[in-house]
Amino acid sequence: MSNSDLPPGSDKDWGKLLHQLRFPPRAEPQPFFYARVHARLLAQADAANALLPNWLRKPAYAAALCALVLAMSGDGAVAAPAGAGYPTSNPAQPLAR
Amino acid sequence: MAFGLSLPLSFELPRCSRLSATDEELVAQLQQGSEAAFRTLVARYQNRIYQTALSLLHSPEEAEDVAQEVFIEVYQTIASFRGEAALSTWLYRLATSRALRCRRWAHAKKRFAHFTSLLGLDNQVLHELPDHAHPQALLEGAQQLGLLRACLGRLPAKQQVAFTLRHEQELSYEEIAAVLATSVPAVESLLFRARQKIQQSLQA
Repeated sequence: MSNSDLPPGSDKDWGKLLHQLRFPPRAEPQPFFYARVHARLLAQADAANALLPNWLRKPAYAAALCALVLAMSGDGAVAAPAGAGYPTSNPAQPLAR
Repeated sequence: MAFGLSLPLSFELPRCSRLSATDEELVAQLQQGSEAAFRTLVARYQNRIYQTALSLLHSPEEAEDVAQEVFIEVYQTIASFRGEAALSTWLYRLATSRALRCRRWAHAKKRFAHFTSLLGLDNQVLHELPDHAHPQALLEGAQQLGLLRACLGRLPAKQQVAFTLRHEQELSYEEIAAVLATSVPAVESLLFRARQKIQQSLQA
């Protein structure tokens, strides 16, 4: 396959124009480009971390919070004696009329 | 990859072995969290990515911003890179899509600013940048290039990307097809139509 998109008989001006486009003084990013990318990555990481409060980012506190939430969420079932507050009807038994 | 940026910011040159590493090796090292590999990757591609963005945006500041975003995205998502396309293809795809998004946003902002100025919501005077000067004057010397770039800026997005990748980055048709996620004949067609439009604009 030919990689030229110039049809046969194309004018020289077009070729010259493309040559200019291909060989201008090459633009480059400002010096220390990598340092700026690195700084931006760090800033993004900090921003992501800042979404959680400082104390919650410590594993011990996070684990304690999870344990507390778990304990609180099931305390009604744990505190109540077995069967208390729940119907104990046996499905096999016919209901009294 | 998580933000494992505990690595010190140092400016020592990457080792020769890393400089000569292939893209596949760099990706593998990067997936293991190597910052030196990331630095090498940035050094290897920063000019190409910046130039591509600059061609599409015509603004050094915006091009730098897009180039930075491309490398940040690479760092953050390299773990999901499966190597189905070449690394360069992935980078060019990120760069062109981000540059086009940036351009769309800039156009929308410009339209909104124009709209608010019509409504008299602000007192700023909008200065429309001239698309080009008189063609006769521009078609002389280095200004020819300016006219060509002005014509390029008016092409549809895909044609512009194809033209830039072909004539500025000197990518093959196959590489351009991979970047644009299209076929080689489609790339040929895009380039042909781009050329027709540019020539029409130059002759007008």
